[in-house]
Amino acid sequence: MTAHRRQMKLGAFLWATGHHIAAWRHPKAHVTAGVDIEHYIQLARTAEAAKFDMIFCEDAAGVREADINIASQTSRSIGFEPISLLSALAAQTSRIGLVSTASTSYTEPYGLARTFLSLDHLSGGRAGWNLVTSASHIEAANFGATGLRPHADRYERAREFAAVVTALWQGKLDGVSGPGHDGRSFSVRDPLDLPRSPQGAPVMVQAGASDEGRDLAARTADVVFTAAQTFEEAKAFYDDLKGRLATYGREPNDIKIMPGVAPVVAATEAEATAKYEELQELIPDDVGVALLSSYLSISDLWRYPIDGPLPELPASEGMQSRQALVIEQSRRDNLSIRQLARHFAGARGHWRVVGTPAQIADELEARFEGGAADGFNVMPSYFPGELDAFAVLVVPELQRRGLFRTDYEGSTLRDHLGYETADVSSRL
Amino acid sequence: MASGAKMHLAVSLFPESALSPPSDAGPDFTLLARFVQKAETAGLDMVLLADSAPAAGGDAPNRQVPFEATTLLAALATITSRIGLVAAASTVAHQPYNLARRFASLDVISHGRAGWHASMVPDPREATNFSRPEGFSRDDFRRRAEEFIGIVRGLWRGWDADALLFDQRGGRFFDPEKMHLLDHKGEFFSVRGPLNVARSPQDMPVLVMSGLSEPDMEIAARFADVILLDEPSIAGAKPDDLKRHALAFGRSPGATKVLMTVAPGADMAARPDLIADRLEEPFRSKSCDGFNILMPPALSVLDDFVDLVLPELRRRGLLRSDYPGATLRSHLGLAGGDER
Ligand SMILES: Cc1cc2nc3c(=O)[nH]c(=O)nc-3n(C[C@H](O)[C@H](O)[C@H](O)COP(=O)(O)O)c2cc1C
Repeated sequence: MTAHRRQMKLGAFLWATGHHIAAWRHPKAHVTAGVDIEHYIQLARTAEAAKFDMIFCEDAAGVREADINIASQTSRSIGFEPISLLSALAAQTSRIGLVSTASTSYTEPYGLARTFLSLDHLSGGRAGWNLVTSASHIEAANFGATGLRPHADRYERAREFAAVVTALWQGKLDGVSGPGHDGRSFSVRDPLDLPRSPQGAPVMVQAGASDEGRDLAARTADVVFTAAQTFEEAKAFYDDLKGRLATYGREPNDIKIMPGVAPVVAATEAEATAKYEELQELIPDDVGVALLSSYLSISDLWRYPIDGPLPELPASEGMQSRQALVIEQSRRDNLSIRQLARHFAGARGHWRVVGTPAQIADELEARFEGGAADGFNVMPSYFPGELDAFAVLVVPELQRRGLFRTDYEGSTLRDHLGYETADVSSRL
Repeated sequence: MASGAKMHLAVSLFPESALSPPSDAGPDFTLLARFVQKAETAGLDMVLLADSAPAAGGDAPNRQVPFEATTLLAALATITSRIGLVAAASTVAHQPYNLARRFASLDVISHGRAGWHASMVPDPREATNFSRPEGFSRDDFRRRAEEFIGIVRGLWRGWDADALLFDQRGGRFFDPEKMHLLDHKGEFFSVRGPLNVARSPQDMPVLVMSGLSEPDMEIAARFADVILLDEPSIAGAKPDDLKRHALAFGRSPGATKVLMTVAPGADMAARPDLIADRLEEPFRSKSCDGFNILMPPALSVLDDFVDLVLPELRRRGLLRSDYPGATLRSHLGLAGGDER
């Protein structure tokens, strides 16, 4: 018997025409991805054949960019709603996990618990929910006139929301025979009208890396999605989050931390660099600056000289963790707004690796073995080409090194992640 | 071949129909898939997927279809290619933006075969699970539903059919002139828009409405593509009134299809001609445009209907023999998508 080596988890993060902001302009990108379900079915099959743990979808209940002229130069204003998308993919795949982001700010826990449990049944126990609290004013304007809730309020609501969803999935909320839930933001009386999950409960994923976000993850999450540029940032986040688990009676292994990685891979380093440069050239400056400013929660970044430094920024009510990460990078590398915007547009602040399959495997291995990640959420620059390239070039290299599975161990997402059938309700 | 109007036929998956074979476990996806594929082979216009709130009584979980309807619809869309797929979704359980988005997405996934079934009957039990323990008065529910439906339809029209340019070289993904904000501010909701899903291949998902009482008729007449009515013995809205109302709102008489809901009895296999009579009479007297047949998700019942009743209806010249187009609107003879 071979020694059992710890193996990394991999997510295939599908998004529009690609994660690079200018992906859709690339001649090899599938430009109609946002209206082509067959394209997504093909991507899901590619990811499943490569034994990815999960497909991962982001979500926003609104367009991503307020300025319509900027928006019209990107492919992100239209696409599939992820729960319907993953339900369609459930019928066309058999092993791969299906994880969708959904907000606690604009839904109700009963409906969300029921919908994800239904996806879980459709897929035979392969569903996961990535909990986010939504940080965008554009979304807020689709759900009332009062604007974005402050950060702390969003997380308070999220904590109650997560507790209710988990109790429903565990069959522990029943206001008919006992007390229902009657909390500050939500009240729920009935148990769900669906059978229990084939994997105990859908997998809980969390994205949100502020102090409150980490605390919520430590209580509730099976998987954490995060953004980190440097090894040190990734390691600090990893140690901090794993360190919080004991407070909630959990073991370090009970949570899998999967930072995003945006690889650009080719047979030679020169080819990979050329591929990356080709994409960078396709970014209009105003699109890059607008994307950057939306993550920094500053609306008038365009007023500042584009070749000058980032101005001082007020504390964000939006995505605090990403703002901090960007500011840190601008200082560290002494970048102008234009440079920062260009860099950011490639992967929205996530870790970018450009190189050969061996170089990329080296980088992933270093973070994985160095205790900075349990796996990675892979963010291909454009689809389908760059997912294919990762599947064909990098996955076999990881497998050869024993760092990634050569076949699925079981049939549910919890099986892939190495978890027992869920019992998480005791923590809440 | 007999000419003249053809009836529209929908089947409703109705787990608790009198015809349900006794069973402990709910139907699985494979069974439902075969059911819908059979209905498609038979050329039926659409399948309606119920989405019930918890039934009173403790044993409900075992007897329900174990899926939420919109997720089920998405999965069924990938294993069918012609039949319309309509999911029920409640105006209490959803926010209008989320619902509009889900169905717009389903319509793109199904290539223009999706519909939303909105019931005008409030379920007080549902409200207790959606942080509204006090529920809604019937009047509030109605005004809220009306506003809700108006928002959903407005969001569905946020992108013009030719808004997407896909101009890679010019860097223009869409034409900003062809995207429209909703900017709705109403009594219950405030929704800016636009939707982040492209225009539907059939312009808009089909809107099916049911549970209409007298005051709901105006709403249905303004908005509904399909109206489900109970058999006329039951008090409630009348097809003629509905069509008159629709005319008053400037819609053409054919713009709303009225389907009468029928639960075939256990005698269907023995006397298919009686079922055919029961459908022919109201159809010929123009009481309705077709029928919504309640069925348990059991293949044997659908087999009887498809193999025995449908041939009889075809013999009588009451049924079209194949799908006239690719979208649900085209099956129903409604404008949009194909018709443009
Ligand atoms: C890696 C990562 C991915 C995220 N993805 C999404 C997303 O897809 N949709 C969304 O609304 N929010 C997303 N968020 C942000 C969450 O909404 C988060 O709960 C909120 O912005 C607050 O973030 P913070 O805890 O980092 O301050 C993401 C956050 C991180 C760190």
